[in-house]
Amino acid sequence: MSTWLNRGVGFAVPLLIAFLVSAVVLLAIGENPLDTFSLMLTEGFGSPRRFASTLSAATPLLFTAVGTAICFRAGVFNVGVDGAFLIGGLAAVVAGFSLPAGLGWALVPICLTIAAVFGAAWLFIPGWLLAKLQVDEVVSTLMLNFIALAITGYLVNGPFLSRQSGNNVTPPVHEAAELSRLMPPATLHSGFLMALVVLVAYAFWTRRTPAGLEGAWVGLNRRFSRVVGVSVERTIILAMVLSGVVGGLGGAAHGLGQLHRFTDGFSAGYGFTGMAVALLAHNSPLGMLIGAVLFGALASAGTTIQLFSDIPLDLVNIIQGIVMIFAVIELGRITIRRRAKA
Amino acid sequence: MTTIALGATEIRKSYGSVRANQGISLSVGPGEIHAIVGENGAGKSTLMRVLQGIERPDSGHVTVMDRDVSFAGPAEALAEGIGMVHQEFMLAPDLSLLENLVLGDEPVKWGRGAFALIDWKAAEMQGRELAERIGIEVDWHRRAGAAPVHIQQFVEIIRLLRRGTRILILDEPTAVLAPQQVNELFDLLRRIREDGTAILFISHKIGEVTALADRVTVIRQGKLAFSAAVAETSGKEIASHIVDGANPVIDETKPGSPGEIVLDVRNLSADSVEKSHPLNSISLAVLAGEIVGLAGIAGNGQAELMEALCGLRSATGQVELAGKDMTGLDADRRREAGIGYISADRRHEGLAIEASIEENTIAGSHRTGPISNGIWVSRKAMKNVALERLKQLSVKYGTLRDPVGSLSGGNQQRVVFAREIAGSPQLLLVSQPTRGVDLNGIAAIHSILRDFRDAGGAVLLVSEELDELQLLSDRIVVMAEGRIVGALGADADRREIGRLMVMEGAGA
Repeated sequence: MSTWLNRGVGFAVPLLIAFLVSAVVLLAIGENPLDTFSLMLTEGFGSPRRFASTLSAATPLLFTAVGTAICFRAGVFNVGVDGAFLIGGLAAVVAGFSLPAGLGWALVPICLTIAAVFGAAWLFIPGWLLAKLQVDEVVSTLMLNFIALAITGYLVNGPFLSRQSGNNVTPPVHEAAELSRLMPPATLHSGFLMALVVLVAYAFWTRRTPAGLEGAWVGLNRRFSRVVGVSVERTIILAMVLSGVVGGLGGAAHGLGQLHRFTDGFSAGYGFTGMAVALLAHNSPLGMLIGAVLFGALASAGTTIQLFSDIPLDLVNIIQGIVMIFAVIELGRITIRRRAKA
Repeated sequence: MTTIALGATEIRKSYGSVRANQGISLSVGPGEIHAIVGENGAGKSTLMRVLQGIERPDSGHVTVMDRDVSFAGPAEALAEGIGMVHQEFMLAPDLSLLENLVLGDEPVKWGRGAFALIDWKAAEMQGRELAERIGIEVDWHRRAGAAPVHIQQFVEIIRLLRRGTRILILDEPTAVLAPQQVNELFDLLRRIREDGTAILFISHKIGEVTALADRVTVIRQGKLAFSAAVAETSGKEIASHIVDGANPVIDETKPGSPGEIVLDVRNLSADSVEKSHPLNSISLAVLAGEIVGLAGIAGNGQAELMEALCGLRSATGQVELAGKDMTGLDADRRREAGIGYISADRRHEGLAIEASIEENTIAGSHRTGPISNGIWVSRKAMKNVALERLKQLSVKYGTLRDPVGSLSGGNQQRVVFAREIAGSPQLLLVSQPTRGVDLNGIAAIHSILRDFRDAGGAVLLVSEELDELQLLSDRIVVMAEGRIVGALGADADRREIGRLMVMEGAGA
């Protein structure tokens, strides 16, 4: 099917160019590019444990990519999934260590729900501002990211600071609140399965629910949507809130599954990498799965590759950076289209 | 002596696989008006773009004043004396007409470049002289945006003449004018012709062609289909060439049989968008089984009235649908209550042009049965509903998943009708239903409207084509400056309708 080909090309071309450029860089510093790339491949996918590490790194990206895609397909330029990720992550972790441990198995669903509610509330704000007052969502969500960073930074250094470590981290969550590891000792946790469920739910939502259809129409043509009786305001707010739910859940999965606590620097730019994934995948579920795994592989291979060779970690940054450039080009295209419509 | 003012020889131009011009030749001499007619998409615009130097032809050449030329860009065509009047006027609305006249080529009293002083007296003199020569009067100090449309058009023509235009191209210049204004424009063009200016006149109204032009050329599917002196042909012959020899389907006219009041509007007022008039205390009624035509020059509140009625624009006053109060309800609630809307802007409002034919056909019915149970959408039911609706209006399409933009204008419009009629609305608000639709498509859309009416539906119809309004409507209501200024029978004299259309909105 041609659309599948299209989606594949969305990542293939940027990756190919990225590897060509890195090959030039590697040659320049006197390394053999082929050896390096095959080492990266081995480190990313070579063994079940390495693959688990890749999937583990892909988990937060899956959440943030889906969160971004929900809004982008509705023409809502939400760049604030990172903020929802932070807020949801902190909310889940705080609940995870402050609620009584005696809640047992119920602790995880409670923490997840709290994270979802906080994430939803967080992005409801710019959604409401956009729908009711036409406040530009790019500005408001970008600003809210800084606010989220400042709030969580303050809380993790103040009220929620762990007395034991005193090192910009909260206390660890109760053991009962941790997401189970899927194949110890690898860090891959059930948050990855959650991410897959969210991805499938997204795919289902877009094609099989009235609100999902409306999201696409509002993204394509707001005037048309109004004519066929779709409330554009409601659709915008819903997209933001769902995006917040997914972002919040992503933060919760990261906190409860990966770190078991909240730290300063909780999100390593996951919101933005996820946005790049959504952009290059054109919001398609399968494309986002591929993209998140590829970025995950880069991240996990990058950290170990310098253990086994003289290749600096910066190589991974070069590759990621070049792929990002293509994401930005895609972003530019959407912006131009958006301006042409306004 | 010059024999060819502007000529095209064997022009070919393709965009990818679309062969827009396939060897078109035509010429216009000094002092000649040459009409170019053809359906939308026949290749008229491409040819004009080539003649103006905006597009380079793949092969063939352009002749100006008996010399072969090759334009590197539109500036060179302008320098050769080729000027175009677009459908959308190119005046700066906030400058005065005089400022617009000299903009870009101001007479200078003193200094040069950025330090020049403009000689406004000389400018006004030039304006007066030119206006006098072509026999019109212009208040040069009026703000362009506030001047009547036909005056704006005249100023645009004068501006081109002042810049040395010897070849004037007009792209459907009458679309925005009332009948009297059309006559004024034609008089003006005839006087310009006497001065030796060559005029290319693009139109799709055959009546105008026979009234004004010396020669007519029909373009069909990128090829020259017919060319003759107007004196030696007839409107009927021209029409038959436009639609490929076949006679266009002739509408049969049959009046409706009005019943109960369906739409009752009282004292409706609304704000305006820029350039247009607000709605000023509109009251009107539409009965079941009748088509009420809303006549008026474009931008006199018709679009706003339609939007206000279907809930897309907030308004004050009362709207009742079959006795039920609609005042203050949003578009979705009015839709549920039985108001269908055919937007004038098919590409940006009537359809989501990038979305599939399927989704465009069922949009609006996606929350209720059989497509949805309120939670989930059944793709299968969606497909069946779409197939059913498209079949009912015999829409021609490839597959349901194709983007609706891939259809022809007529079929796109049928998709809109298929969607809007499917819910059996009591009232259909129809705006410019046949704009950009080919002749056979027009006949089909007219019969859809008549069928809807004959089944007891009420229709409020807005069209800039007076012919169409008179053909379809049972009654005609005229709007000017946001008010209703008169109501007439469908067989009213065109001149009477025209007189009302240009009335200052002094109230009915």
